[in-house]
Amino acid sequence: MRKLLSLILALMMVLGLAASAQAVTIGFSQIGQESDWRTANTDSVLKAVEEAGWEMVYSDAQQKQENQVQALRNFISQGVDYILFTGVVSTGWDEVLKEVNEAEIPLILLDRMPEQSTLDNITYAAAFGGDFVEEGRRMAYWTANYVEKIGKSSEELNVVILEGTTGADAATGRQEGIMEVLANYPNLKVIASQTGNFTRAEGQAVMESFLKAHEKIDILLAHNDDMALGAIESIKAAGKDPGEDIIIVGCDSPKTAFDAIIAGDMNATIECTPLYGPFVVDALQKLIAGEEMDKTLIHPEEGCFDAEGGVVYSADGRLSEKAEDKIGERLY
Amino acid sequence: MKKTLISGAFVRSKLFWAIVAELLILLVGFILRPDFLSIQLRTLSDGTTVLFGTPVDIFNRASEITIIAMGMTLVIALGGTDISVGALVAVSGAIALKFLRWDVLVYTTPGDYTVQPYYLVILLPLLTCTLMGLFNGVLIGKLKLQPIIATLILMVGGRGIAQIVTNGKQFTTQYTPFKFIGNGSFLGLPLPILITLVVVLTVVLFVRRTSFGMFVESVGINPNASRVSGLRSDTIIIIVYVLTGLLSGISGLIYSSRISSNDSNNAGLGYEMDAILAVVIGGTSMTGGKFSLLGTVVGSLIIRTITTLVLYFGVVSEAIMAFKALIIAVVIVLQSEPVRNAIAKRRSKRIALGGEARA
Repeated sequence: MRKLLSLILALMMVLGLAASAQAVTIGFSQIGQESDWRTANTDSVLKAVEEAGWEMVYSDAQQKQENQVQALRNFISQGVDYILFTGVVSTGWDEVLKEVNEAEIPLILLDRMPEQSTLDNITYAAAFGGDFVEEGRRMAYWTANYVEKIGKSSEELNVVILEGTTGADAATGRQEGIMEVLANYPNLKVIASQTGNFTRAEGQAVMESFLKAHEKIDILLAHNDDMALGAIESIKAAGKDPGEDIIIVGCDSPKTAFDAIIAGDMNATIECTPLYGPFVVDALQKLIAGEEMDKTLIHPEEGCFDAEGGVVYSADGRLSEKAEDKIGERLY
Repeated sequence: MKKTLISGAFVRSKLFWAIVAELLILLVGFILRPDFLSIQLRTLSDGTTVLFGTPVDIFNRASEITIIAMGMTLVIALGGTDISVGALVAVSGAIALKFLRWDVLVYTTPGDYTVQPYYLVILLPLLTCTLMGLFNGVLIGKLKLQPIIATLILMVGGRGIAQIVTNGKQFTTQYTPFKFIGNGSFLGLPLPILITLVVVLTVVLFVRRTSFGMFVESVGINPNASRVSGLRSDTIIIIVYVLTGLLSGISGLIYSSRISSNDSNNAGLGYEMDAILAVVIGGTSMTGGKFSLLGTVVGSLIIRTITTLVLYFGVVSEAIMAFKALIIAVVIVLQSEPVRNAIAKRRSKRIALGGEARA
């Protein structure tokens, strides 16, 4: 009898757990497919939530704010338990996010944050995003330390920068970080800095002009790897050896950048990870368990990859890893 | 050419002022830094010798727009517009890369991929774009839809199709024959320049050596009168949009070959506007009728020269758009009829009559 009772109890507990796991529904309002990075980001979150056994209501906004506003309102009327949200722009969210607050659905902000005045007026459970300024700093740190490693730290070296889309957070932040650190290295002189709109084609065209306008270019810092990859073609077309005559550092770390590093065309890439899945699930688990999360923006752990590894790329002394060892783990 | 040899009609033509504007922009660049116009021979790592210099870049990078603008000139001469060309550029690249990297969904090490027959990689994108041009042409020629509305369908839908073809992914290729289209060189000249040359010559010959150009102008000036006098205006409209589709496809191959990749979001973005601008700067009126293919080539070169100038002299990123708009505004004002007439009259009061010069 006692055995039966405990069996029933155990069964009820299992069923109860299963039911509670089933009961959690998460709404995810994503920007849409704009790049490989975004696709990897979406896939990562969807996969992690699915593996955790929760129900996911996914909404692709196709780069339109009105679609996202509609999606958030649908989430409210469907009565989802948690909302994951990446805003296509930073402004104009006050009204709809207040509605989310009134419906008492915990909100988790991902990647792109609404503007500060909005954040001050709403409550949210957690926020995850990249640290663009730090990424910029790391690009510059890696470069400075690499220059020292190859014994050129006493030489005057000319730096050109391919900026991202003018006004984009990632571009402004990375530029700020780069300039902040380069100020400590007077031998690394920025001679040109232009926007390449984060695209390969423009990165290529802008680098082509740089190569005509400036006789001596030693270092190229590109706000993303796509522009760096485009620039490599221009450098080859100018009869120079990318990676050798010109040190090339990019940001984002997709597989294509690893390929270029292994081929010796590029020197390093600073990671800007799209793989938000694991820590989003981690945060959700904490929230479901009733824990409070810190309201400050949490930055994911990110690395730096180059041909040989072992170059310091941050102020706190982190060491770069060898691209060849890590390419197998790349998902995007 | 001596000044006396330039006829008054030519001085009053928009083509003349487009050429003057181009030369002025180049002159500004030359005065600021004489090496702006320098051209040198360089030997690349693979042993080929190429011409290297900003003027080469201008011709090279103007290729995509020039090729599309050849079709756009005829479209505008018909009194229409084709705003789907940018999206077609994306479609062309997406299909080419899809066929180059059939296995791409399963990632393999660089260089290790199966390649479809090369002719398919070239032909299929061109065929698809031609069919899309046919779609535009039928909507406009047969169903009499307004061109801007009819081509809006593919402007919006085209990028969607490109996304579907590639599952929203960006493929990369290292296949040398494909990379050669946009990055290769022949006789020291970048291949896109030579492709553009062939396209421009073919279109000019087709339009001016046959009566097709005259038909286009006739339909552009008065479609009803043309039809009544026995011209198959719908067929002419269809041919022009099909041609524009094909040319967008060629442009798309050059674009995707340059970056060895497809980019459904950014490939050809804004090309429709650049192409229309090139046509207008080149002296073809948006109301249709007479057109100048050579003017369009100059117009396209002006647009590219401005961009190159801006990059060469390092105008700050925030100011680029405003700076370009300023120069284009000056060029267009310079070309406006009152200004042209005023300058032409001042040059020689003898010239009182004479129509538009044609290329």
